[in-house]
Amino acid sequence: MDETIADFALEYAEAKKVEYAEVRAHSHVLELLILRNGVLEAYASAVNSGFCVRILTNGGIGFASTNKWSKEEAKTIVDLAFKYAGSTNRREKLVFAEEKGVKTKWTVTQKKKIENVPPEEKISFFTDAHKALTASKVKMPATMMQCSVDLATKYFVNSEGSRISSFVPKIGAYAFITVAEQGKTEQAYKQFGYSGGWEASREWRIPEKLIHEAKVLKDVITKAKAVKPGDMDLVCGSEVTGIAAHESCGHPMEADRILGREMSQAGRSFIYEGSQFWVGSKIGSEAVTVVDDPTIEHSYGYYMYDDEGVKARRRFLYKKGVINEFLHNRESAAKLGTKSNGSSRSVNYDREAIVRMANTFVLPGELSEEELIEDVRHGVYMKSFTEWNIDDKRFNQRYVGREAYLIENGELKGPVARPVIETSTLKFWTAVDAVSKNVGFDAATCGKGDPAQGAPVFTGGPCIRLRGVYVK
Amino acid sequence: MNDVLAKTEEIVKKAKKLGADEIVAKTTFGRYRQVRFSNNQVDTTVVWNDYSTDVTLAWKKRLVATQIHNFAHVDANVKQLLALAKVSSKNPTFGGFAKGRFPYAKSSADEKLENLQSLSEYVLEAIEAAKKEAGGKAETGGALFTKFEDVYLASSEGPVGVDKRSAIELSIRAFSQREASGHGVECASTLRDFKPSRAGEKAGQIAKLARNPKAGKEGVYDVIFDPLTFGSLLGVWGGMLSAFSIMVHMSVFVDKLGKRVAPKIVTLRDNPGAYSMSNRVFDDEGAPTKENVLIDKGTLKTYLHNASTAKMFKTKTTGNAGLVSPTPWNIEIDGGNTSKNELFEETEKGLYLTNTWYTRFQNYAKGDFSTIPRDGIFTIEKGEIKNSWKDLRLSDNALALLGNITAVSKESQHVHWWLFDMDGYPPSLSPYVVIKDVHMTKSK
Repeated sequence: MDETIADFALEYAEAKKVEYAEVRAHSHVLELLILRNGVLEAYASAVNSGFCVRILTNGGIGFASTNKWSKEEAKTIVDLAFKYAGSTNRREKLVFAEEKGVKTKWTVTQKKKIENVPPEEKISFFTDAHKALTASKVKMPATMMQCSVDLATKYFVNSEGSRISSFVPKIGAYAFITVAEQGKTEQAYKQFGYSGGWEASREWRIPEKLIHEAKVLKDVITKAKAVKPGDMDLVCGSEVTGIAAHESCGHPMEADRILGREMSQAGRSFIYEGSQFWVGSKIGSEAVTVVDDPTIEHSYGYYMYDDEGVKARRRFLYKKGVINEFLHNRESAAKLGTKSNGSSRSVNYDREAIVRMANTFVLPGELSEEELIEDVRHGVYMKSFTEWNIDDKRFNQRYVGREAYLIENGELKGPVARPVIETSTLKFWTAVDAVSKNVGFDAATCGKGDPAQGAPVFTGGPCIRLRGVYVK
Repeated sequence: MNDVLAKTEEIVKKAKKLGADEIVAKTTFGRYRQVRFSNNQVDTTVVWNDYSTDVTLAWKKRLVATQIHNFAHVDANVKQLLALAKVSSKNPTFGGFAKGRFPYAKSSADEKLENLQSLSEYVLEAIEAAKKEAGGKAETGGALFTKFEDVYLASSEGPVGVDKRSAIELSIRAFSQREASGHGVECASTLRDFKPSRAGEKAGQIAKLARNPKAGKEGVYDVIFDPLTFGSLLGVWGGMLSAFSIMVHMSVFVDKLGKRVAPKIVTLRDNPGAYSMSNRVFDDEGAPTKENVLIDKGTLKTYLHNASTAKMFKTKTTGNAGLVSPTPWNIEIDGGNTSKNELFEETEKGLYLTNTWYTRFQNYAKGDFSTIPRDGIFTIEKGEIKNSWKDLRLSDNALALLGNITAVSKESQHVHWWLFDMDGYPPSLSPYVVIKDVHMTKSK
């Protein structure tokens, strides 16, 4: 990365008749390992760097990027961004919510620097994980594992005086297993993610977790019974709580979606002005508070400043069951007469920064998990999920249990095969009557943007108990 | 630009000299443009220029890859890559890259897409067409995307080639009411047959028909899939036919070669032909691309291969090489003898699904999944569209759906949109298709 080229590009842009200009430069040192059945298929390693220019002029936005580091190329992309910004001919002129310029540097610390870990060690970590998995004696016709490393250096400057440098190392892992018994198969995947160093690899306890998954899948094939469909109580484990928080709270609270900016792709939101659902409307029980917080150290979605140079903070999305605060970037905040809350993210220099979640989770309560279950006469404990989806207004969702157990008279009984909850956002969060005190997190890759931008996030929360919901 | 090919070949020579067994280098100079719009106005125009060389190298069955962005750094980058190979571990199943010198078809890329001006005019044309159908108060959003790539490939195993690849696509969604929408796409490899108003009209027509939707009813239905909806299914099946998907059991087609997987009216192909947005004359290891019949009159004939997976499966490459996983380029299903209108007329009672998204599996090997129809969902009674529904989910099985195809229309459309990228689906040539006994569920 050549910061002088980025500075030059900004100066060149500022010399034009612009309302606002910014330059965002990225350098990503990337690694990807792919293993099939414990054997390394391929090891990819590359440096991907470039910069983008975003210009606001005449109420329109132009964005251009390149990975060629030269002043001549910088002029070319500034000219393109300026030309396209000026030619949008919008009726409603775009503006950005006000921010003061920021000059700072921030980094994420690593206990064991990823860049100092030799490739052999990374490979053997995953081949060893596979050996441990096969030692479990569960029949697995196929496994796949991936490890990704992204050492991201960024440099952000804008026409308001901001100059922000950052370094964030991220490491991710993904495992997919197939278990076969009695001529049937079951499948599961687990994702892991961390902002920091190679120390994450041990903290993840991948072998232990995958062996657990393999045994669960075997039990689903050999022991689990289908649940008799009907209204019952449902206890969701943190993984299920987390996906629900992400899908039916985080996404519908993205202000760009609410304002229609994503109407053709990611969709709109059941929340919109003039509808039943707006700030202050009831969406769940008092037990439900969902936050999005980029500032959790070493989380997969961690950042200190967003990609518009706005300082990150915790956002209370649903607060005690009430719609409270949308996720904003500067464009959406201006449209709704407020300030950005630092939710603007971009995965690379060639992608527009848009409104994104970071780490979305339900805040904990007072009870233990045992206490949640003790008070259930008949129900299901859905500890983890497999198939899931939600409609594009983020109101009708479905989660299918992966590890799940029947609850009878306050006690966990045998495994349940693929229980399904298919319900609305309002019913789901309104049915919650209690939440446990321990919060768990899972790494995920959130999809949004056109072209697609897979953003690293955490989803999470405590166990939550839903009363009288339909499970099939 | 022959200079770029020479530099790409130079990477191969240097790597061989340093001890690589096999190496493929592919340089792409890409120019991409996009206009995004919502609420009937352009939000932003985006331009990307991208220069990169993908290098994949094998040394003693160790497979490693990198990307070079500056030819001035080739020496260092190649040395680093070979060093990585030497500390990497062996993949005993690696069978080598495609071998031989191949003649390639001439690229049919459209030079006009290299630097197309007035992108916004195409967008405005689509918006106006949608509003004309759905009403002046209709809201529209979407994106126009253009691609022009110069591609130079050299391989130590013989292939050397130059290709140009162009594409243009417009995606528009129109809302006649808050919960009444329609989606249209227009996709092409050249400007010649690109008509943005066609996408707008379709989006507007569906949005108009979708007005005042009522909550849908759970049940088992005969369903007419619009090309856009069926394109998602083609993407699912296409991905599952990659040999890598077979090897990791992310497919319903494991152990199904030579077996009946669909009725005789189904012939499925992968064809990156001239019309396709993913048109190309060679794959990522320089093997010529071609039309491959994957399912012939209901019988599974082949998986998609690169040279290495082909060796494992004791067959020949199909020209679908990616680094590890063979990739479908453009899935087609052969048209039938029935017109689209006849398909509707012959449906006594059923549903018409115009679009879908968020397709997720419980178990890829078994095929159980669900997907959520969006935009117009219509009931059909006695051959006519009757009611507009909302809030339904298709919850079924990928193999069962393929097996339950009962009719395919003559007319086909080249389709692709944002969701396909999100889910890794290729573009497709998709007709209107009828599938019987489709399970629909809803929230309770």
